[in-house]
Amino acid sequence: MTTASEAGQPAIRTVNLVKIYQTGGLPVPAVRGVDLRVEPGEFVAVMGPSGSGKSTLVHMLGGLDTRTSGEIWVEGRRVDTLNESAWAVLRRQQIGFVFQFFNLVDNMTVADNVELPALLAGTTPRHARERREYLLGELGLADKADSAPAQLSGGEQQRVALARALANQPRVLLADEPTGNLDSRNTRDVLRLLGEVHRQGQTIVLVTHDGRVAGLADRVVTLLDGQIVDDGAVAPRRRTRGGAGDVVELRS
Amino acid sequence: MNAAERRWIRADLRARRGQAILTVLAVAGIVTALITAATLLEDGTNPWRGLFARGNGAHVWVHTKDAPDPALLRSLDGVADIAGPYRSAPATFALGGKKAPVALQEMSPVLPAVGRPIVRDGRWLDAADPAGVVVERSFARASGLRAGGAFPVVGLDGRTHALTVAGLAESGDQGFYPEWTPGLAWILPGTLDQVEPKIARSESVVGLRLADPDDTALVAQHAITKLAGQVQRVTTWREVEASMELDNRLLGVLLALFGVAGLVAAALAIANATGGRVLTQRRDIATLKSLGFTRRQVARMLLAEHGALGLAGIVAGVLCGRLVTAYALADTVAVPLSPVPLLAIAFGAAAMVVVAVWLPAWRGGGTPPLPAAPVAPPRGHLSRLARLALLVRLPPALVLGARDAFTRRLPAFLTTFGVAVPMMMITIGLGCWATLDAFQRHPERVGQAAPLLARPGAVPATSAGQVALADPDVLAAYPGSEVDALVPGQTRTVRARALGSVTDPYPFSVVEGRLFRDRGEAVAGQGLLDLLHVQVGDVIRVTVGGTPVIVRIVGRVLEPEQDGEVLSVPLDGLAAKDALPPQYHALVLRPGADLAAVRTRLQSQGLEVSYVVNPADRLVVIRVIIVALVVVLALIGAANLLTASAVGLRDHALDLAVLKAMGLTPRQVMATLVTGTGLLVVLGAGAGAVAGALLSSGLIDLQGAASGMGAGIGRAPAPLTLLLAVLTAVGAALLIALIPARRAARARIPVTPR
Ligand SMILES: Nc1ncnc2c1ncn2[C@@H]1O[C@H](COP(=O)(O)OP(=O)(O)O)[C@@H](O)[C@H]1O
Ligand SMILES: [Mg+2]
Repeated sequence: MTTASEAGQPAIRTVNLVKIYQTGGLPVPAVRGVDLRVEPGEFVAVMGPSGSGKSTLVHMLGGLDTRTSGEIWVEGRRVDTLNESAWAVLRRQQIGFVFQFFNLVDNMTVADNVELPALLAGTTPRHARERREYLLGELGLADKADSAPAQLSGGEQQRVALARALANQPRVLLADEPTGNLDSRNTRDVLRLLGEVHRQGQTIVLVTHDGRVAGLADRVVTLLDGQIVDDGAVAPRRRTRGGAGDVVELRS
Repeated sequence: MNAAERRWIRADLRARRGQAILTVLAVAGIVTALITAATLLEDGTNPWRGLFARGNGAHVWVHTKDAPDPALLRSLDGVADIAGPYRSAPATFALGGKKAPVALQEMSPVLPAVGRPIVRDGRWLDAADPAGVVVERSFARASGLRAGGAFPVVGLDGRTHALTVAGLAESGDQGFYPEWTPGLAWILPGTLDQVEPKIARSESVVGLRLADPDDTALVAQHAITKLAGQVQRVTTWREVEASMELDNRLLGVLLALFGVAGLVAAALAIANATGGRVLTQRRDIATLKSLGFTRRQVARMLLAEHGALGLAGIVAGVLCGRLVTAYALADTVAVPLSPVPLLAIAFGAAAMVVVAVWLPAWRGGGTPPLPAAPVAPPRGHLSRLARLALLVRLPPALVLGARDAFTRRLPAFLTTFGVAVPMMMITIGLGCWATLDAFQRHPERVGQAAPLLARPGAVPATSAGQVALADPDVLAAYPGSEVDALVPGQTRTVRARALGSVTDPYPFSVVEGRLFRDRGEAVAGQGLLDLLHVQVGDVIRVTVGGTPVIVRIVGRVLEPEQDGEVLSVPLDGLAAKDALPPQYHALVLRPGADLAAVRTRLQSQGLEVSYVVNPADRLVVIRVIIVALVVVLALIGAANLLTASAVGLRDHALDLAVLKAMGLTPRQVMATLVTGTGLLVVLGAGAGAVAGALLSSGLIDLQGAASGMGAGIGRAPAPLTLLLAVLTAVGAALLIALIPARRAARARIPVTPR
């Protein structure tokens, strides 16, 4: 994770980012001029009421949705002008996604789901398997490798989704309400994992409207009607870098 | 292809094994049906292939004065083996006043390795029965001979020999009688010596089997040179094949129609399976794209998966087609389909598969990478109609099912369309069947009012008509003659048929214009109109039997003969030298009369009577194909329906919870689901049947016009048949819909979406 930080580039930067949906001919502004800067290794929580444009914002950051105007920079590279397949390649190498509804591929086993991004990026099947074994082991799911996603509980599924998002050691992890569909025990498990990953230096942008969840972050950005109304660090900083307790190896 | 793509394809195929197998089966079924149909067609229209293969025929037959040295011929380059030499002597077959020249050819009681006649009836020559001969089948048929019957022949010396027919055999070594004369009979050498003791009055025939049939002309030339001066004539397999080939245009176009229909059905099945599958997978595909799969990768993956299923179906179909023709049809078909139609079918089907898969695959690739939240059921409120229905106490399952059927447009459309198209094609098939029935039941409506033709034979030509009319079953006897006519701008001749007179015309089936009423008028088949680029009402100049005449074509008739290239005029419109005496009389019989009995009676009066070949008799193979196609189409309909219900059930998961929460019993839930599907199926089957009925007679007429016979032959299936077909389809569809509905109704529904 060195080149970008050495160059002093933010992991993500947006300039006057705008998204306007057209519904039935009527323009619906979802994001209205967002300037956001996320430093490498930073954990940013995006909060705001329902409909304030949080999902739209992270979707644009990952190229899942196109912007209407403005700029998006990832690791010092302008990406909002990329075409669909270039975005796909960027996603597969640098961006990991975690969704509210897990979105595991039902037909594939847990192991296949986690190996898929690595295989897609051209890793050999042996390396993909080793990485998957490592990740599932660290997330406490080693014995579920051959299960179908439908056989797992919600919390387990979200942990598998997390493993899948981390399979290619992405620069940025984007999570859209990853705990929105979980009970409190599973929420705690997933958050603990996110915290551990973050401590390894993982850049995270997490959307939530749960204040406790946001409390885990370095910084909380609040959106209202598509605009940033508040942007502040969470004190005290609990961030401790590295250490013997590393759970998830990142950027080896 | 990337390892990730391969892994996903493998997982997806494993997850829907049943559906995948059904797709493969549907495609395999169609390809099998097409190959079987094409093989039957090829065999039916080119009987030489089968006969030649079965009898291990000789490619070249050389007729010489004296027996040649077999070793000399055997040593010729390109000759693999030889048959004979056999002695062959001319004689006259004479039975009941009828005489026909016949070639008696010696053969031993042991069938030879090359040029074997194929015994079809009775038995082969036997040394214990020296008087027994084996007669070539087409000659036997034309002469009314049966195994066990008498075969009196008169030798050149005038003596009559009382031979008997030991058996009937076919041979690919000479053409059919009467196109190929004289008739052929195989006889024991000793018996031949008795009939024709003089060697000088016979000839010798020897057959050459070649290593490569393409060398025919060359080897024939070498043989002629080697046998310097001895050779009287040479026939080759090409001439035999050409003389045996049947006029097959109508059969060919009907079959092409079926082929295209079959391929369209295959494409539909695949497109539906792929499209339905992709639809149910939108969420997974979006997930894949969010992981970094590109549009191209997703499209390629879908194309590979579904295309592979289609191609597997084609391969299985080709194998099955071969097996069917090799084993199930071993008695009818001796030679497998030749490579050109086989490749055409295989590649045509492959192209169809690729095209059918490409569109849904490409569209699947375009799925946006945003995995949407699980679909919420459309918040359809009960319509006023539905509320009314509930008020008057219609069962709730019916009301909910009906509402359900129309709230989801796309699955509703898929179901309806998936049923309608096979139903439409089944109806067209039934229309073809009805057309064939009409041909056979009412030949008078397709230009064949007279089922028998009487030639004078032993009766004086002038009184043949009276003799025929004396029979109680003969209603009318129209005098007729057929002569060649030269038409302007054509190097070949067409047939001019003079039949009936101006005052007493033959009952042609006029479909356009009117029948001739005067000498200068004529009617024609579509084929002739097309050939000359003329229309009804035009005046043409023709040379009939050497006399130039000018006739006005006043009508178009259905013309089943000669590809419709026939000009029909009144007999009194011909020059007297061509018209008198008439060559034959076309006999119209009393309805219900027994053809064979009438023929026998008239034959005993000395007339020579032949049957008119009904075009439908040549098309029996089509019936087999119709049945096969209906089966395959039904299979496709079933596959489409299963796909549609899979799509539907995915959307229904949440509904089911709602329905159960409303207090519906599993039985009622099931009834709701089945009603939803059933309504769409009724709609689809009805629409398909109507469209098919409207299309079928038009399509068949189009085919008729293309074949020269002319538009006006097409029949729509009878309403009752159609109704039965629709009911069967709906019943079967409901049974199919019941399976997933039952499973869904019984399953415990998760209350929260995952
Ligand atoms: N695909 C879409 N088409 C039209 N409008 C949309 C679409 N997605 C979101 N919106 C609108 O954009 C606004 C922001 O939505 P979203 O980003 O999902 O908010 P949040 O995630 O904060 O709840 C909402 O008003 C929503 O209705
Ligand atoms: Mg949201």
